[in-house]
Amino acid sequence: MVPPEYYLLLSAAVFCIGLFGILTRRNALLFLMSVELMLNAANINLVAFSYVWGNVTGQTLGLFTMALAAAEVAIGIGIILVLYRNFDGVDVTDATTMRW
Amino acid sequence: MAGILDFAPAIVLLPFVSFLVALSVGDRLPKGGAFAGIAATAGSLVLAIATVLTVAGGQTYDATIYTWAEGIDAVDLTFGVLIDPLSAMMLLIVTLIAFLVHVFSLGYMNDEGETGLPRYYAGLGLFTASMLGFVVADNLLMAFMFFELVGLCSYLLIGFHFREPGPPSAAKKAFLVTRFGDYFFLVGVVAVFATFGTAAFAGSESFPALAEAALNGEASVTTFGFEPQTWFTIVGLLVLGGVIGKSAQFPLHTWLPDAMEGPTPVSALIHAATMVAAGVYLVARMYGFYAISPTALAIIAFIGGFTALFAATMGLVKREIKQVLAYSTISQYGYMMLALGGGGYVAATFHLMTHAFFKALLFLGAGSVIIAMHHNENMWDMGGLKDKMPVTYYTFLAGSLALAGIFPFAGFWSKDEVLYETLIHGLGGSPLLLGAYAMGLLAVFFTGFYTFRMFFLTFHGNPRSQTAEDPHGVRWNVKGPLVVLGVLATVAGVVNMVPIEKLLGIGGIDFLHQWLDGGFEGLTAHHYADLIPYSSSYIGSEATTVAVGAAVSLGLALAGSGLAYLLYNVPEPIRHTDRLGRIKAVLYNNYYQDEYQVWLANGVARPLARVANKFDGGVVDGVVNGVSGVSLFAGGRVRRIQTGVVSNYAALLTLGLTALLLAFGILGGWFV
Repeated sequence: MVPPEYYLLLSAAVFCIGLFGILTRRNALLFLMSVELMLNAANINLVAFSYVWGNVTGQTLGLFTMALAAAEVAIGIGIILVLYRNFDGVDVTDATTMRW
Repeated sequence: MAGILDFAPAIVLLPFVSFLVALSVGDRLPKGGAFAGIAATAGSLVLAIATVLTVAGGQTYDATIYTWAEGIDAVDLTFGVLIDPLSAMMLLIVTLIAFLVHVFSLGYMNDEGETGLPRYYAGLGLFTASMLGFVVADNLLMAFMFFELVGLCSYLLIGFHFREPGPPSAAKKAFLVTRFGDYFFLVGVVAVFATFGTAAFAGSESFPALAEAALNGEASVTTFGFEPQTWFTIVGLLVLGGVIGKSAQFPLHTWLPDAMEGPTPVSALIHAATMVAAGVYLVARMYGFYAISPTALAIIAFIGGFTALFAATMGLVKREIKQVLAYSTISQYGYMMLALGGGGYVAATFHLMTHAFFKALLFLGAGSVIIAMHHNENMWDMGGLKDKMPVTYYTFLAGSLALAGIFPFAGFWSKDEVLYETLIHGLGGSPLLLGAYAMGLLAVFFTGFYTFRMFFLTFHGNPRSQTAEDPHGVRWNVKGPLVVLGVLATVAGVVNMVPIEKLLGIGGIDFLHQWLDGGFEGLTAHHYADLIPYSSSYIGSEATTVAVGAAVSLGLALAGSGLAYLLYNVPEPIRHTDRLGRIKAVLYNNYYQDEYQVWLANGVARPLARVANKFDGGVVDGVVNGVSGVSLFAGGRVRRIQTGVVSNYAALLTLGLTALLLAFGILGGWFV
């Protein structure tokens, strides 16, 4: 059996890649992808602890998170489309007109 | 048992209904809604007569009609009806005068082709209803509310001809000057509530009864750290502020001569029965409260005596017939205040009644003359009207004789009793009252003079203008009210012939004394006589004093009238008052009271207001603006965090998370 530390390391690595993407990228699509990575890092955690404790609650929650992620992507893509229509591009740093 | 007194609220409501009718459908009714007003006041008059007859049978009525604010652990605010001999008598006077004024208005307004009649009759209806509501009020707060309504109606009616420049300005002046007094009245009402927890006029729990008990040490009231005597005087004087404003006493009398800008029937209503009478009636209503305060009584007496003389002197030199009458009104109400302050409760009420009759008569007579003169009010354009309008002439003569106080007309009896009461109480050890008496006595001479100066200039001599030679005729609707009032002004004195009783020893003809002795215990003339802080003293015997007092006042009245007869009852009178020179200028300009009050407003009140405005704009607003300025400045700096760039937010979130983790780690000892 693989010790749970490895799962946690993998999860942390995926989370950090996602975070790095969010902090450095300006393209909205890449933003969305990075967010998905972070979300899935959390999923890995859920599944790993579920496996360690022999309890399916964590896996069930993981399935819910995936459904949630699908919904989130649908809305996210919609937002990106509107962004494109209004600012002629998908650079997130352009959309600053509603700040104050 | 449902008696006639249960219908007392209807006396008030009928004119109010006529107000609503005239206001809503008056322009579709014949005569602009006049008949609604006449029917309503006639109904009120009938009910008032029935009320007086019932009260004469010994019944009284005091009931709460409606509680409009229920106090939790505090006082209830109510509307109620109080019918006792005083209010019944006043109801009769007000409804009678209002009815006659409505009839007279047919001649003065409708026949003269005035426009805006529905508005006029609506105003008259509301005016009458407000005054009647004031008269039957059973507590001070309700009285105050109707007092204000009366003021509002006077504003609406004085400013009836609002397209001309004079009337709106006079209406505003009347409103503001009386409001100045009413301000003190309002504070007084609150003070009464705070002191006694009630504002009822009648009963053992009423505020005059409680005040009396408190002075005897039988009840305790909140007096805010003052001696009860001092505090009651203060409260009484606060309420008196409203009285001085409404009853046009010095120094708040300046609105009344200007109020002559209103239509003449309105002047009759204001002067005889409603607005101006309200002030004196209020003092009479709560006389039990004033009677326990010698200081307040002395002030009332002195103001009254001074006003009587002061206004009479100004009446001497006026050119316009209504101006003379206006100053005579101020002067006559001064007599009533003198009587109230001098302990003559019955005398004041008596003079209030006779004055209502003869002053309404004189104003309506003046209205008749003004119709005849095509709305020229200058007496120097009149003259010789006696042959052309005999009804007006003889009724006006009766009114003038009553006003001047000539035996045996109504005014003689009441004025004589006012002066007599003041004299005996003054002789009983109150020099201040004797001073007020002297002023009142001197005013009798002036009253006789200005009354007959006006009378002879108007009706005698040769006509001094085209219109006076060929005056406009008047109809039944003018003559009828004049005749009714003429009869009353002649004979109303019989209700209280005290001098005859005292001199000839005939008992029981002082009907008004007996009348006002009935009703609620604690609201009787007898009770008030026990309360007042004066003792009586006589010159020789009581009968001698009566005879001397009556002879002196009648002699002075005859002297004044006779002087006017000599000077003005000639074919071509000249302006004798011009011989007074500078004095005439002072009198004609009302002792520069208006100028002085304008100076007070412009020279004192305005700079004060400006300083207050500066303080408000500089200090108060400065603090508020300073606080908001700090917020605005800080907000302007802090908002720069909000760049709108998503990456920055994400970075901040990450930094925050890191900082949080570090903090947890350090505090939780993860790194040890």
